[in-house]
Amino acid sequence: MQTHIVSLLVEDRPGVLTRMSGMFTMRGINITSLTVSPCEKKGLSRMTVAIKGTESEVEKVRKQLSNLIEVVKVVDLRAAEAIICDLCLLKVHTKDSEVRLEVMQLAQSYGAKIMDAALDSVILELTEEPMKIDRFVDLMQHFGVKQLFRTGVTAIGRGAGGG
Amino acid sequence: MSREKLSGAEIVIEELKDEGVEVAFGIPGGVLLDLYDVIYKQDAIRHILMRHEQCAAHAADGYARVSGRTGVCIATSGPGATNLVTGLANASMDSVPVVALTGQVVTSAIGTNAFQEASTFTITMPVTKHNFLVKRTEDLPKVIHNAFHIASTGRKGVVLVDLPKDVLADVAKVNLHPKETFAGYKPNIKPNKVQTKKTAETLATAERPLILAGGGVISSNATEELRSLAELLGAGVVTTLMGKGAIPEDHPLCLGMAGMHGHVYANRAINECDALLALGTRFSDRLTAWQLDQFAPDATMIHVDIDTAEINKNIQVDIPIVGDVKLALDDILKWLEKHKKLGGKSVWMQRIKEMHSACDECIKDVKRAGTSLSDMFVKELNRILDDDAVITTEVGQCQMFAAHYYMTKRPRRFITSGGLGTMGFGFPAAIGAQVGAPDNKVVDIAGDGSFLMTCQDLATCVENDIPVVVCILDNRYLGMVRQWQELFFDKKYSHTGLGLTPDFVKLAEAFGCYAERVEKPEGLKDVLGNAFKSGKPAVIDLIVGKDDKILPMIPPGGGIMGMIGTERCKHI
Repeated sequence: MQTHIVSLLVEDRPGVLTRMSGMFTMRGINITSLTVSPCEKKGLSRMTVAIKGTESEVEKVRKQLSNLIEVVKVVDLRAAEAIICDLCLLKVHTKDSEVRLEVMQLAQSYGAKIMDAALDSVILELTEEPMKIDRFVDLMQHFGVKQLFRTGVTAIGRGAGGG
Repeated sequence: MSREKLSGAEIVIEELKDEGVEVAFGIPGGVLLDLYDVIYKQDAIRHILMRHEQCAAHAADGYARVSGRTGVCIATSGPGATNLVTGLANASMDSVPVVALTGQVVTSAIGTNAFQEASTFTITMPVTKHNFLVKRTEDLPKVIHNAFHIASTGRKGVVLVDLPKDVLADVAKVNLHPKETFAGYKPNIKPNKVQTKKTAETLATAERPLILAGGGVISSNATEELRSLAELLGAGVVTTLMGKGAIPEDHPLCLGMAGMHGHVYANRAINECDALLALGTRFSDRLTAWQLDQFAPDATMIHVDIDTAEINKNIQVDIPIVGDVKLALDDILKWLEKHKKLGGKSVWMQRIKEMHSACDECIKDVKRAGTSLSDMFVKELNRILDDDAVITTEVGQCQMFAAHYYMTKRPRRFITSGGLGTMGFGFPAAIGAQVGAPDNKVVDIAGDGSFLMTCQDLATCVENDIPVVVCILDNRYLGMVRQWQELFFDKKYSHTGLGLTPDFVKLAEAFGCYAERVEKPEGLKDVLGNAFKSGKPAVIDLIVGKDDKILPMIPPGGGIMGMIGTERCKHI
């Protein structure tokens, strides 16, 4: 079982998301993360679905997704050939000024932005590949993460490849 | 075409006419009043009022299978639509082109739990190839056109169009008969030439080639090509349940149906072949059984299917071909005719001859030991009915008795619920089949359990002069489940006994049908003759034994070489 990132180009219509997610439900595959947004073509949307599964499971579901009438294109993006990004917002507990300073310094070293600061907490934003975000979140847990929001991955194929 | 001002209901009917629809099976309802008002005012499309929406879907399904055209069914919102669901799932599983039109509450009330509201769009999503919820009257021409286009092309299937009441009632200026389709819908029709060449070479040099014909051979109208290829190669042909009729079952190269309840020789041929050309089949578990190492272990596997998603789904293949079966066979035949490099297959042909005659004997011999009344009645039908008669079946023992013993000689003449296994399918499917083939005899081989699930539509037959004949193999049990209880559950017959009600003869007479009871197979011919002569819909109650078993069979978990109950089969 490994993480696959399936990128779909779909018609922008009500019901498309249900139809797409129904294919995963039917095969008992859990969706780890999902993003949907407009894309470069009018009337179409791009969905990026992260799932865990074996090669053959993912290949079967990819073919079935291609069969959906409103799906224009499906690509199973390989990690090595794609730029993969996730955005996370997290509110970190800062009990005093010393801690706040330390949190802010660490955030800077990761390239995270400080979105807001209050006396007892700061809000940080980091857009990065998911593994790096995982490490950053682990680090922040040390100070106490009050809230964590992640958008889920979006991905684009390098060079001529992909979605 | 110039823009016309029409109501939504008028647009729907105009588009149906443009698609060549000649008949629709349906039941009206509150939100469909506008549509039925337009149906009333025209006579291009015949509407047959059914007595249950499930039957409307099955009738459209049966009509489509017999005629090769797209079947149409209509149901109202809420319960009307939910009653359709079984029928739609059935047609979807067997890749039958059906368009379903359902009424829906007014768009402003959608999602409010209005009277007779159900979310038909979401409920039917998994049982259709595609579905639409139409929100604007202006969209109707494109939606209806696409519904038929999607249902009848590529891997055929079911498309549902949900029509809110205001969308049907409102008037809009529209261009009728548009031709646009979806950017993402491009079925793979043309097979890859490299793959078909590789296939032809493999078949030419194979010593023991076998063709496995599935329902795709029939739906792509490729039966002539199949026969030519089999004869050119000297290849044996076995069929799936859905493939019955792809080749005449008395053809010397045909070894009948394979699989769980297939012929022992058909299964053996799959095990022995060295090249297997599988055409338009999805390798269901009822065909392959469960010990896959027994399924064509020495063969180069070639799979032709129009649906990419079927390739390597259940069985790993060596040569995949995505495309229309007929086109693929054309390419293979052309290559073989041009190169004429056929290897020596004489030993295999002798083997096929031997197996064919053993198979033939099994079907024709009525006196062999262990023969049951059920199979004798079906064998009797072989003698009585002409090659163009249409058989439909219910599901269970009756279905497998029919599949095993009835000799189908032509395509679209054996209609059965293959994938979903829907009890109650055969009778309403027979109604649709009779409408699609008005000059043919149509016989539903039924069981008493199945028939009772949809028998209210005898009223439809009587009211519309649809003279189908239902032959009930009446054992007063849910026979197939009982057979499994007998063989695998120590004869504990839990809830399979149906008691003595109803009296099917009286029931049928109450509807105004011709009805008779037959206790001996030799009595069937006269009674069936009388039924056909009466010109009425008929129910013939055939009394069979509760212990009748459909054998041989592959027990659960077994492989195609592990059939039980083969004592009656000639060992060769």
